[in-house]
Amino acid sequence: MQGVFSQVAVMGSSGMLLCAMIVLWRRGVAAYISAFMWQSVVLGALTAAVGYFGNDPQLYVVAVLLFGIKAVAIPKLLRRVSQRFTAGRESAPYVNTATSLVVSGLLVLLAYAAARPLEAVADAPTRAGMPLAMGLLFISLFIIISRKLAITQVIGFLMLENAIALLAVLATYGVPLIVELGVFLDALMGFLVMQIFLYDIHGTFSTTDVDVLERLKH
Amino acid sequence: MFDVAGIAVEIGQALLSLALAPALVGFIRWLKARMQNRRGAPIWQPYAELRKLFRKDMVVSRQASWVFHLAPFVIFGSTIVVSLLVPVLVTPLPFNAVADLFAVVYLLLLGTAFLALAGLDTGSAFGGMGSSREMTIAAISEPAIALAILSLALAAGSTNLGEIAARTIARPSSALSPGHVMAFVALFIVMLAETGRLPVDNPATHLELTMIHEAMILEYSGPYLALVEWASWLKLFVFAMLAGNLFVPWGLATSLAPAALAVAFATTLVKLVVIAAGVAVLETRVAKLRLFRVPELLAVSFVLGLLAVASSFSLR
Repeated sequence: MQGVFSQVAVMGSSGMLLCAMIVLWRRGVAAYISAFMWQSVVLGALTAAVGYFGNDPQLYVVAVLLFGIKAVAIPKLLRRVSQRFTAGRESAPYVNTATSLVVSGLLVLLAYAAARPLEAVADAPTRAGMPLAMGLLFISLFIIISRKLAITQVIGFLMLENAIALLAVLATYGVPLIVELGVFLDALMGFLVMQIFLYDIHGTFSTTDVDVLERLKH
Repeated sequence: MFDVAGIAVEIGQALLSLALAPALVGFIRWLKARMQNRRGAPIWQPYAELRKLFRKDMVVSRQASWVFHLAPFVIFGSTIVVSLLVPVLVTPLPFNAVADLFAVVYLLLLGTAFLALAGLDTGSAFGGMGSSREMTIAAISEPAIALAILSLALAAGSTNLGEIAARTIARPSSALSPGHVMAFVALFIVMLAETGRLPVDNPATHLELTMIHEAMILEYSGPYLALVEWASWLKLFVFAMLAGNLFVPWGLATSLAPAALAVAFATTLVKLVVIAAGVAVLETRVAKLRLFRVPELLAVSFVLGLLAVASSFSLR
């Protein structure tokens, strides 16, 4: 049972990590949105699985909320935003695709090194997934700093959020429901604020490429 | 353990690989045609192609040197040797002692290198272009495949292919470990790249701008062409067997009992059908990548291999 639990945790975390890598490999914003959606679906399923194996019915509620907000509502909003802006392609990121992929591999190795003390003190069967969650965190940050379109950066931020939720679920079987609700509200509000920013950037420069923000200096 | 039965099974396995390889390619083509609403040639079409080519005369360029004549035999021979080393039906084979991960990877590379040399040899423009592309791809895909199998080797504690398969049979839960799954995806991508399948090279066309494998063998005709083609089909078969029998080794016989061999034969066929279906679906769904995107795809495979190694290392 414990073996299966730990296996499921690691599988789920790897799946989420791969979804983040799709953002580094593909160019179209539509693909990023589906990658985020699938990542959230996996996170929801993993949360439910942790609830099942860890005997914590509260986590089912969290899983349902996760699914509703991150896998349905936010992707829908993202799609609407990306349809409003015509240029839905990340044509020239700051770091090219092949290098980004290699960097992401190195970041995961770094996460393995960084999570070693964390793994040593944890005794939950899910601890094997923790380095992967850390890796996801690093990769999401890397997406935010290496991509040019504001919408990709928003997706990177949302993935960062997913990474933190994953780390919480793996390390402590989730935080209390009330905190979780607060986090969801925060994420949603943050996303809405960013959406307004996106519209403003697009309205001023008629592109969401953050490079053009340089022009504000003159 | 050089017993007669073992050697017989070993040789039978190589002959079986040789016999099944064209059928595998024919099946993929047929399935692809069906999925694209075409009727498609029958599955045994590749056999007919081979028979036709072996009967034909050869036309050899006046500029061709001995490399051109040697290459088909080296390519065919090295691929057959690999098919002797990869577990197809039975896992502890008589030749198991040399069935090493690195031996397999570099024997495959030997064939690729000679194919590239043959492409350059006659001095035709297309051959050179194909060779340079093939070498670009081989240079990135070879470390990826080595990494992918290395992650299995780390989990099994041995780089021996038979040993890896035997360990996975003994510990079924390890087949779903993340390292295993990522290594499988990595190997699948490399398989597509190395055997000239769709996102990397289109096996169905001779379009000048995009062809890789076809460009290198453009100068070959008759029996030489048959040998080169057969070897490339055999290579696809070997990769399918690596993917099928190293990652999902159930059904593989661990003794030479006839019943176990029959089960192994049946499961091998099932695995081949599943892998062929996967390739056919993928080839129907995706378009060919631009050449400059190919290294990026192989970088994905490399990173997956790296992650697989990292996770098997930490879970050990």
